[in-house]
Amino acid sequence: MAIEMKVPAVGESITEVTVATWNKKEGDHVKLDEVLCELESDKATFELPAEAEGILHIVAKEGDVLPIGAIICTIEAGGATASVTVADAAPAAVAAPAPAAAPAPAAGPTSVLEVKVPAVGESISEVTVSVWNKKTGDVVALDEVLCELESDKATFELPAESAGVLEVIAQPGSVVPIGGLLAKITVGGSVSAASVAAPAPAAAPAAVVADANYAAGHPSPAAAKILDEKGIAAASVAGSGVGGRITKEDAMAASKPAAAAPAAAASAAAPAVAQGGTRREKMSSLRKTVARRLVAVKNETAMLTTFNEVDMKPVMDLRGKYKDKFKEKHGVGLGFMSFFTKAVCVALKEFPSVNAKIDGDEIVFHDYCDISIAVSAPKGLVVPVIRSAENLSLAGIESEVVRLAGKARENKLSLEEMSGGTFTITNGGVFGSMLSTPIINAPQVAILGMHNIVERPVVVDGQIVVRPIMYLALSYDHRIIDGRESVSFLVRLKQLLEDPARLLLDI
Amino acid sequence: MQEFDVIVIGSGPGGYVSAIRSAQLGFKVAIVEKYSVMGGTCLNVGCIPSKALLDSSEHYHNAVHSFQEHGIEIAKPKVNLDQMIKRKAGVVANLNAGIAYLMKKNKITTFHGLGSFDSAKTVKVTKEDGSSEVISGKNIIIATGSKPTVLPFIPVDKERIITSTEALKMKEIPKHLIVIGAGVIGAELGSVYARLGSKVSFVEFADSMIPTMDKTMGKELQKSIAKLGADFYLSHKVTSAAVKGKEVTVKAQDASGKDVEIKGDYCLVCIGRRPYTDGLNLAAAGLTADERGRIAVDEHTLQTSVPGIYAIGDVVRGAMLAHKAEEEGTFVAEVIAGQKPHINYNLIPGVVYTWPEVASVGKTEQELKAAGIAYKEGSFPFKALGRAIASGDVDGLAKVLADANTDEILGVHIIGARAADMIAEAVVAMEYRASAEDVARMSHAHPTYTEAMKEACLAATAKRSIHS
Repeated sequence: MAIEMKVPAVGESITEVTVATWNKKEGDHVKLDEVLCELESDKATFELPAEAEGILHIVAKEGDVLPIGAIICTIEAGGATASVTVADAAPAAVAAPAPAAAPAPAAGPTSVLEVKVPAVGESISEVTVSVWNKKTGDVVALDEVLCELESDKATFELPAESAGVLEVIAQPGSVVPIGGLLAKITVGGSVSAASVAAPAPAAAPAAVVADANYAAGHPSPAAAKILDEKGIAAASVAGSGVGGRITKEDAMAASKPAAAAPAAAASAAAPAVAQGGTRREKMSSLRKTVARRLVAVKNETAMLTTFNEVDMKPVMDLRGKYKDKFKEKHGVGLGFMSFFTKAVCVALKEFPSVNAKIDGDEIVFHDYCDISIAVSAPKGLVVPVIRSAENLSLAGIESEVVRLAGKARENKLSLEEMSGGTFTITNGGVFGSMLSTPIINAPQVAILGMHNIVERPVVVDGQIVVRPIMYLALSYDHRIIDGRESVSFLVRLKQLLEDPARLLLDI
Repeated sequence: MQEFDVIVIGSGPGGYVSAIRSAQLGFKVAIVEKYSVMGGTCLNVGCIPSKALLDSSEHYHNAVHSFQEHGIEIAKPKVNLDQMIKRKAGVVANLNAGIAYLMKKNKITTFHGLGSFDSAKTVKVTKEDGSSEVISGKNIIIATGSKPTVLPFIPVDKERIITSTEALKMKEIPKHLIVIGAGVIGAELGSVYARLGSKVSFVEFADSMIPTMDKTMGKELQKSIAKLGADFYLSHKVTSAAVKGKEVTVKAQDASGKDVEIKGDYCLVCIGRRPYTDGLNLAAAGLTADERGRIAVDEHTLQTSVPGIYAIGDVVRGAMLAHKAEEEGTFVAEVIAGQKPHINYNLIPGVVYTWPEVASVGKTEQELKAAGIAYKEGSFPFKALGRAIASGDVDGLAKVLADANTDEILGVHIIGARAADMIAEAVVAMEYRASAEDVARMSHAHPTYTEAMKEACLAATAKRSIHS
């Protein structure tokens, strides 16, 4: 008896995961709860423990992108194996005596299982059938790989959901929408044998249409014209209209599939080196999510940035004076992050709209400060959250920063640790940025950009003096934060940081 | 010599639309029209004037037959045919002016005169006064339309034996009008005079009226027109027609070969139309017409065998319908502009402006049967329709044919009041490949004639119309 291991639901907004590494090999004997592999979502990495003891059969390869619920592997718990099923059925098929003999001998209960394109990801609406590993009439075993499907994002294999006789419906090269019919599997031993020879497949097309939406991929009159002018076949466009129809908008958005696409797919995941010294690499799920979200924020908010500068001398003096003692007592270094976080919390309390978010027609104000901190992780930007930072001491903040940054670097952050922030701080200064206009971390409405500290001549009490100066940037959503509030927020921050005693005295 | 990007020969619905679309696309356009007025057959001697007369005759018929029932009492109405024809002329003149205005608005240069090819790139315009002028065009669009077909053994004298053109300007109401050909034009004009009080006899070679349409339509239309007192000689082959004084004698053979003789005072010949390229001098452009007089064109571009010369409308293959010509007019202009437009010929609706009107789009039941396509049929009679009962227009039905497996609508055939307007819904639905159930699930205003369409779709979906 084989147990199918599927991609678990790991979070509300996560629809697909990438198989990062297999800790076990095909055929390995695995124990209950042993870690089989690591899966990556666009938000977090997690481990998949074995659900049973037995022999491992790997279905999804490293780098494969799988939808939630897709089969990753099977664990053969008992004696009967999938291969036995194949051995049983195959001779029967070969031995089927009279091809003309109608499906009459089909005595046992039979059923026809439709093999449809699984939902492989939120934004994927269609796949291209690249290769069939099995052909019509073949006897397939449970979980045997039937074909390879390509989406615009990844290539993946489709395992048989049941043993039986295969009838291929979508030919290689054809584009099938999610949920579209790829093949049928006739389940049932003797019947499978008969149906191999029976003329059933000839009659199939008529029945097929009844299942797959007959109008999927049908362009509207305007869409047809646009597609023709672009030289794009309707078959290569995913229709977003009713029943998969191609709308004018779909046609306008459609772009010609890169001519090199098949070649790129053939060379699998390996980055293909093209002519002219360019290199193509598939975007990771994380990168794609980051890209999508950043663009969405730019498009959907009224974002702008206000600036100010902070004389860092007081904070630096304080830090220089106490950093050793601080480290001794708290076991964590005293950085600038804690001062900024603390000051931000104070300012947020005074300007609640900066600590809010928009939900439909309403503004949601938070009476707590969950501060997201942008951290550069190996695979890209992640934003873990310091919970209720307003209640933490400077030491408490510093240790949270250290803990979260450490996990980020190891790709160990949980989804929980990255969700629900109310305001974000990003520090481009660590890379030497002098000034930037950060993008809001939606659904938040403001983000503070820290920058490098540079000694600059400034005028203090009528004298030009040299002071360590940091420029601050606050990008905010003008929809709910007015200029007065955003500017005042930044001024308040400046005030607190230039006179840190205020933090202590709460003034 | 004046030079143009596009020269359109013919200002019918194909030609003038093509000219306007070309102008919209930024081309310098000329249009050449043989007659002094714009609009071609459709506007001058076809669609528009026949509709004007159809409506006039319908009003008269209502005044005579329906007013009393509606509770309107008037003195016995009388037909003033002169006024009817005058009104029709007014309607036509109004629209003539409209097209002239559109040409001006779109800065299209109009040439009145007979256009003929001088070469593949030049057109000679011979004016009424005999003078001529040659203009050149990078692209030339032939939109010269069609003329009524005549049979060699039927001597059309345009007095007693007439074509549709003369039937639109009669001096008197015929006592007995013999209509040869019960197709679209024959049915329309025959019913005009039947309503004005003429005895009308239809002689048709096929076994039904409007034989190219779905059989149900022909059957229903015949029932409706028969109520006007018309006679039908179906499956009859006309052998001769002769005029003697004020009497026309038409001889025909019935299906069994038996001779039939019909006597009347007028005979209207409506056996079809032929592509019209007379005087166009195709040879100068290096073109020839096929054995049926049509100009061959490339399916994807409507370009003729000579690059830069295109042909649209009645002069090319396909249905001889104004709206088909219009689509092709737009199509060609866009092709010339380098665009890639589409025309779905299967979804060009066919309409017969009798009363009740007949309209259809897509496949007929006979076509589906012949093609071996499994279909479902759903019909709904107007007599079960609130709006139709209220108006008193209860003749007719809507019939929807849908794919037996997918429920996709494959054909819609409507006979009844406003059918011509109702068919637009079917065209939209079919362009988007809607299923019968899709339409059945869309709200249709009540009480309207369009509810017949919804009900027929319900019937086609699963025999579940609500009101029958």
